[in-house]
Amino acid sequence: MIEQLIFYVFALVLLFSATMVITVRNPVHAALFLVLAFFNSAVLWVMAGAEFLGIVLVLVYVGAVMVLFLFVVMMLDLNLSQLREGFMKHFYIGVPFAVVMAVQMLLVVGSGLFAPETLPEARMPIPEDVGNTALLGSVLYTVYVYPFELAAVILLVAIIAAIMLTLRRREGTRHQDPGKQVRVRKADRLRVVNIPSARRQSEQE
Amino acid sequence: MIELSDYLVLGAILFALGMAGIFLNRKNAIVLLMSIELILLAVNFNFIGFSTFMGDLAGQVFVFFILTVAAAESAIGLAIMVTLFRNRGTINVGDLDSMKG
Amino acid sequence: MTNEAFETPNLLLALPEIWLLAMACVVLVVDLFSNDRDHGPAFWLTQVTLLGGIIITVSTQWGVDATTFSGTYVADSLGALLKIGILVLAFLGFAYSRDYMRDRGILKGEYYMLGLFAVLGMMVTVSAGNLLSLYLGVELMSLSLYALVAIDRDSSRASEAAMKYFVLGALASGMLLYGMSMLYGVTGTLDLGEITAAAAELDDRRFLFLFGLVFMMVGVAFKFGAVPFHMWVPDVYHGAPTPVTLMIATASKVAAVGLFLRLIGEGLLPLLESWQHMVVLLAVLSLLIGNTVALVQTNIKRMLAYSTFNHVGFILMGFVAGTPEGYAASVFYALTYAFTVAATFGVVLLLARKGFEADHITDLKGLNDRSPLFAFVVLILMISLTGIPGTVGFYAKWMVLKSVVEAGFVWLAVLAVIGAVVGAFYYLRLVRYCYFDKAEGEGPQPTGSGGFQAVLAANGLLVLVAGIFPGTLVAVCLAAFL
Repeated sequence: MIEQLIFYVFALVLLFSATMVITVRNPVHAALFLVLAFFNSAVLWVMAGAEFLGIVLVLVYVGAVMVLFLFVVMMLDLNLSQLREGFMKHFYIGVPFAVVMAVQMLLVVGSGLFAPETLPEARMPIPEDVGNTALLGSVLYTVYVYPFELAAVILLVAIIAAIMLTLRRREGTRHQDPGKQVRVRKADRLRVVNIPSARRQSEQE
Repeated sequence: MIELSDYLVLGAILFALGMAGIFLNRKNAIVLLMSIELILLAVNFNFIGFSTFMGDLAGQVFVFFILTVAAAESAIGLAIMVTLFRNRGTINVGDLDSMKG
Repeated sequence: MTNEAFETPNLLLALPEIWLLAMACVVLVVDLFSNDRDHGPAFWLTQVTLLGGIIITVSTQWGVDATTFSGTYVADSLGALLKIGILVLAFLGFAYSRDYMRDRGILKGEYYMLGLFAVLGMMVTVSAGNLLSLYLGVELMSLSLYALVAIDRDSSRASEAAMKYFVLGALASGMLLYGMSMLYGVTGTLDLGEITAAAAELDDRRFLFLFGLVFMMVGVAFKFGAVPFHMWVPDVYHGAPTPVTLMIATASKVAAVGLFLRLIGEGLLPLLESWQHMVVLLAVLSLLIGNTVALVQTNIKRMLAYSTFNHVGFILMGFVAGTPEGYAASVFYALTYAFTVAATFGVVLLLARKGFEADHITDLKGLNDRSPLFAFVVLILMISLTGIPGTVGFYAKWMVLKSVVEAGFVWLAVLAVIGAVVGAFYYLRLVRYCYFDKAEGEGPQPTGSGGFQAVLAANGLLVLVAGIFPGTLVAVCLAAFL
């Protein structure tokens, strides 16, 4: 009973923040509501027994992806007053479309067709006594090693593409070159100058 | 007791919200990317729900890979948006109409 | 633990993909340390990689029927055939594009790396045995292509095209995934072979299968660029640099055929009568919209984009029957169409020079006076795309039509023939410009290195030869399904 209550509370907050993501005017607020949505999702996943994925969602999504979103929002210097125009124009098309779609989907997935007794038998059963993280680890590098390698290639493509599209080398920028800093020798920086002392000068005079 | 249909209903509503976000936001491409994240989150709920109630691990593995791909996807999407902003000075979706025919 | 049944994968079966990945990394490193402003080492290594990939695929996968990596990878003749097609098309694309990219200052090492990764994604897609590897292959291909469309990052048009392609492509992936999640919920497995088995013994859960199928069909249609999920195609073709358009128009279409066949054509074959109507609807809409809008286009790239719908309609028609002959017809159509269109874009690239795109249809005026050889190539390509008897395009259309008529859709065949006749107007208009009009101003000037011109001429003549002797290729396509 308590479990059910917790589920519904977090699910409602999740749906509320998802609604705010698509309706608020300020993209920074939208990004922060998306963070809230991810946090609530993570809780629900942990409740469902997928602890590892819940933690990954917080670490990777909230920690990295959403920070990237915020970074880009800040960098782009958007004109907020323009962002809102025309929202109502699409409201009357978008909302009925989404409502019709949601109702149709709910009629299918909310019906009794997915009753527990009709579910297929597990082919890769989850044992009770092994932790979720260990379990995922045991299949990722064995049964799913091919998809795992592909995921690595996809991340490499993302790196190459992001650098290619956004890196610009500007002439005349001042920056440090750590290689040169390390390679420097004493002789390059320090020159011992033999300055005749002041007293002797005065004596000579 | 939490039912499987609770997860699926949650997934379906999130999916519809993501679709609505794509239709509603004609001014701001960043929110389009966020709507895509919502759609992927909806799919993840489906997989986690099925995985838990069947007691089958494969669904969770799929979620792991969707998370990875979605991170790469948003990196590329944001990079494309930065180039768009540099060329146009705007990320207004309504302005994306220089090609006609 | 769950990995008791784990068998060490047979890496040799996946040799083409492993070779491509290893060489892509070599290109990455070599290009980093080379000082060649034209990225010569990257170019030659890429071409060697693609040719090597063809040899490896033919020698290790043709005629084999095996799975490895716990069933996530399938090595069979169908995959081998599609992979060879993809590799050849990518080879042509890179061979045609060097001068164009150099003239516009966008010849970067990343062009070759991302191109190779896109090819890798396509190869993974066509030999996937599991929903997971299918999805990752599609994403690897799509992500590389999004970035390639935006490679000319100072072009406003290219980044607009990339943004549209990205948003709609990501939406399509979301749809595809939602459908896959339903499929997983109904069958309890991600393995395509087991899904087929589960689909064959349907009970009251048939409805849920269909629910997932609708989402997957929408996702696949997006990737195909079939009407009504075609909104991105014309702008992406138009806005992307022509070499990238070439890759999207040719190799990725072949990969889309692979995606359809693995996921729906073979994976859900027991549900044929359910998805047959959806495919018929997509094919009819594609045939109708493509031809009517292509008629009024004055930009060659946009015209080819709209005429693509017509050909996508034909490819989809081959799937309707759900028979090996129908599938073979679709594969034959896709391969020959892609080969012909590659040469068409090759001609556009040949005539393009610094500050001149040669993508307006009147830019071809008087080509016969300047270069009879390439005017003849355009003639071959256009009559083949039209489907005049004696050309390879005719055989492809004929095979597809035969399979649809045998499946009982005579009206669909009639509609397609009418569409092909309409198509003759806008294809043969280009031939008229080449032969019967005088050049205006500088007119079309074939530029480009001797190697480029030789490969392009060979490509055009091979289209002619394939039209005269289509038997071998037809036999190969049929053998891939039997």
